[in-house]
Amino acid sequence: MGVLERVAAVAQSAELYEELREGVSVSFRGGELEKTKAESVLGRALRVIVDGKLGFASTAGEEEESLVQAALASARHGDPAPFSFPPLTGGTHVEVLDPEIQSLPPEQLMSWGEEAVRTVNQEFPDIIVDVSLARGIREITITNTSGGERRERRGFLSMYVEAQHVKEGDIWLLWVGRTVRRRADLSPEKILEELLTFLGWGEKVVPPPTGTPPILFTPRGAIVLYLPLIAGFSGMSVYLGTSPLKGKLEQQEFDPRFSLLDDGLLPFGPRSASFDDEGIPTGRMPLVENGVVKNFYYDLRAAALAEAEPTGNGMKGGLIWGGGFRSPPSPSPRNLLVAPGDGSLKELISQIKEGVIVEGVLGLGQGNIQSGAFSNNVATGFVIKDGQVVGRLKNTMIAGNAYQVLKEGLREVGGEVEWCFGGYQSPPLVVEGVSVVTR
Amino acid sequence: MEALLGQALAKADADYAEVRWEEVSRSRVAFQRDQLMALEASREAGGIVRALVNGAWGIAVFTDPDEIPEKLRQAAALARKAARHLKDPIRLAPVSPVRDTVRAEMKQDFREVPLEEKRKLAEAYNQLILGYSKEIVSTSVRYTDTIRRVIFANTEGTYIDQETPDVTLVLAAVARRNGDIQQAFESLGEAAGYEFALGKEEKALAAAKRAVDLLSAQPVKGGRYTVILDPELAGVFIHEAFGHICEADFLLRNEPMRRVMTLGKRFGVEALNVVEEGYLPGRRGNSPYDDEGVPRRKIYLIKEGVLTGLMHSRATAHKTGMEPTGNARAVSWEHEPIVRMRNTYIEPGEASFEELLKGIDYGIYAKGAFGGQTEFEQFTFSAAYAYEIRGGELGAMLRDVVLTGNVFDTLRNIELLGDDFQLKGGAGGCGKGGQSPLPVTDGAPHVRIRDVIIGGG
Repeated sequence: MGVLERVAAVAQSAELYEELREGVSVSFRGGELEKTKAESVLGRALRVIVDGKLGFASTAGEEEESLVQAALASARHGDPAPFSFPPLTGGTHVEVLDPEIQSLPPEQLMSWGEEAVRTVNQEFPDIIVDVSLARGIREITITNTSGGERRERRGFLSMYVEAQHVKEGDIWLLWVGRTVRRRADLSPEKILEELLTFLGWGEKVVPPPTGTPPILFTPRGAIVLYLPLIAGFSGMSVYLGTSPLKGKLEQQEFDPRFSLLDDGLLPFGPRSASFDDEGIPTGRMPLVENGVVKNFYYDLRAAALAEAEPTGNGMKGGLIWGGGFRSPPSPSPRNLLVAPGDGSLKELISQIKEGVIVEGVLGLGQGNIQSGAFSNNVATGFVIKDGQVVGRLKNTMIAGNAYQVLKEGLREVGGEVEWCFGGYQSPPLVVEGVSVVTR
Repeated sequence: MEALLGQALAKADADYAEVRWEEVSRSRVAFQRDQLMALEASREAGGIVRALVNGAWGIAVFTDPDEIPEKLRQAAALARKAARHLKDPIRLAPVSPVRDTVRAEMKQDFREVPLEEKRKLAEAYNQLILGYSKEIVSTSVRYTDTIRRVIFANTEGTYIDQETPDVTLVLAAVARRNGDIQQAFESLGEAAGYEFALGKEEKALAAAKRAVDLLSAQPVKGGRYTVILDPELAGVFIHEAFGHICEADFLLRNEPMRRVMTLGKRFGVEALNVVEEGYLPGRRGNSPYDDEGVPRRKIYLIKEGVLTGLMHSRATAHKTGMEPTGNARAVSWEHEPIVRMRNTYIEPGEASFEELLKGIDYGIYAKGAFGGQTEFEQFTFSAAYAYEIRGGELGAMLRDVVLTGNVFDTLRNIELLGDDFQLKGGAGGCGKGGQSPLPVTDGAPHVRIRDVIIGGG
């Protein structure tokens, strides 16, 4: 007898989430292969509604009966469930599995890693290179007592290369990488090209302009601005009143050139899926259209509380930080797509007389995210003078407010988008209104 | 389990192999405003094997204990493949085999406390925060307890069965006035029983009051300041900025960094002593052995201003010709052990708080920690709140205080160490190499540092 049948005897309704994770990862440290790891993990989570009250439990490697008992015990002392489990039907099938990824042998990952070390050290012999590569699948199965079943196998492939420049009195660390769902979307050559460009830009350390110079956020650096938005567009934050966007639907809260799309349907998008972690069909939904707030994202609970429709954004884990079977679902974006504007990175740089490029920061998320405030050490940043990159900056902090910057400070939106952190796609942005302080 | 592991390891086709099987039981209660976001008492189990063949590691993670023999074969096969790509083989420093059983010690065993009571406790703290002021719009109150039982066996005859309890409490308040949103929290954790979570009403009220007070606080003006760190923030500083670069795993294949971190080099003033203490019963994450079965030790990272020690796993100890220090830790059965901290602290000095304040014309007194991050010499950490120091006296409250700097410069810029001391385990934990949150404890006295960069407009 399966878990759902067992529990149906006692509970009004129930939902079983199963996650099978299988994969291989390889990591290099200091140019040498450090470890090779295989993973095969089955995790399960059970939600039940008993006498109208919600219960939750999760497990790995345990008997079904103990999972059932744990969920029932949780429901006995739980609060009324504001939602019910919907029948698992409908929706659009999204391409998320590339057989070519599954058949990649560990040796292929090892040789990509070796090639990365060789390529970087050929041009920069003193750079210490770490590489991590992984490939695998996640098979998600969701069933509930309202009927139907969702099952999907989703592939992933990732490559991250980290370069360490270590000199007494000047240590610099930077990384470049991608997480993709399709073999064809990973180009080790492009990753290395990007890394070598940054290493070239960074050979010389120069003082940055201070005050509030123009800041060019590269697609990856722009996470500083997007992190508060990821929290602020959550339907739960809006319902709880912790989002500054509460009550701002249909209002012009951003620059007219700023548009943000939450898209779960993009074929092979790194966070694409046919359904969310509650089995709700995923969708495509504008969050910001030409600066106007259009939608928030909801899971079943937040939607019920806010009297909104679930949007297929009930996720076990956020865009930047992972979750998995142990976490109850919460509203979280799918693939976030920032609409591109015009101009290449080079063109954007050439228009700046004196400014700063931000590619990576320290202390992400360690502050008052909800208000939009950020204050970060620029881990990887460069200085622009007369339209040229003249070197790398050090010991420098940037600070500002993401909502304010994206409303009043947006100067240019670049034309070339890139995938970052396995979850969002953005062009470079040029902004003003960010303070720069240095030693 | 001992027989099962013994038989499987006896057949392992590897130079060295180990199995770690973990059984975890935990409960969790979480409230946000009026919403019960989590209420759970769950159990899980899983394992990991590591095999060392011809100097290369192969690792396999699994959830079915019947698969242990097969996983050992798989790990050895992966290691064999990897070894062909290796120029500098990994070897392990010798340690004596250990046989031991360690059981969790708790005044009030939280496994015997009904889930309903834990819910009531969290709910009461939540109500206290919500009721503090009309300007409190939301909360985050979270209680967790966990027992992690780790069974570790290796091909050298070590067999350890140890349990570590863990209790954490987060008491957070979110206040809102017009468009402005501010938050404040208390974050607590110990390797203790249910008793640790009781009686924290004052902490809950303190968080609520601070969130409201922060609505009236001014954002800090960016610049370079003389800063006094409170013991909590100074503890985060020593963990983030200095502790991480004393983890020998990243020195293993990094010759230039090894030169930077040469033992005997002066890093700070004479009065500066920094300790990594392996085992302090009752402190978060503490247990007598690490996840390679190595007994924990106390080491001085800095003694009288001079670098005297690093943290090691068996592999890094062998590479550098040092003794293993028992710092190889894994956050769970899904991960292999890597070099991590446990209890890291700055020993107290002699200055009173008045002496620390004296002579500061315009400075910052930074308190509490939002968190921190380091990338070798660059570090950053966020204060939960702060006060101005004007003419040697404390002034108005400040917010958005994030401090940054170069660790080597900053250690040299430590001017005074307070005569007080506090060891604290928060509810969060440390993150490294995708393994987070690992329970750790930091400690320090008040510390005064000159020339610290603070971000802001």
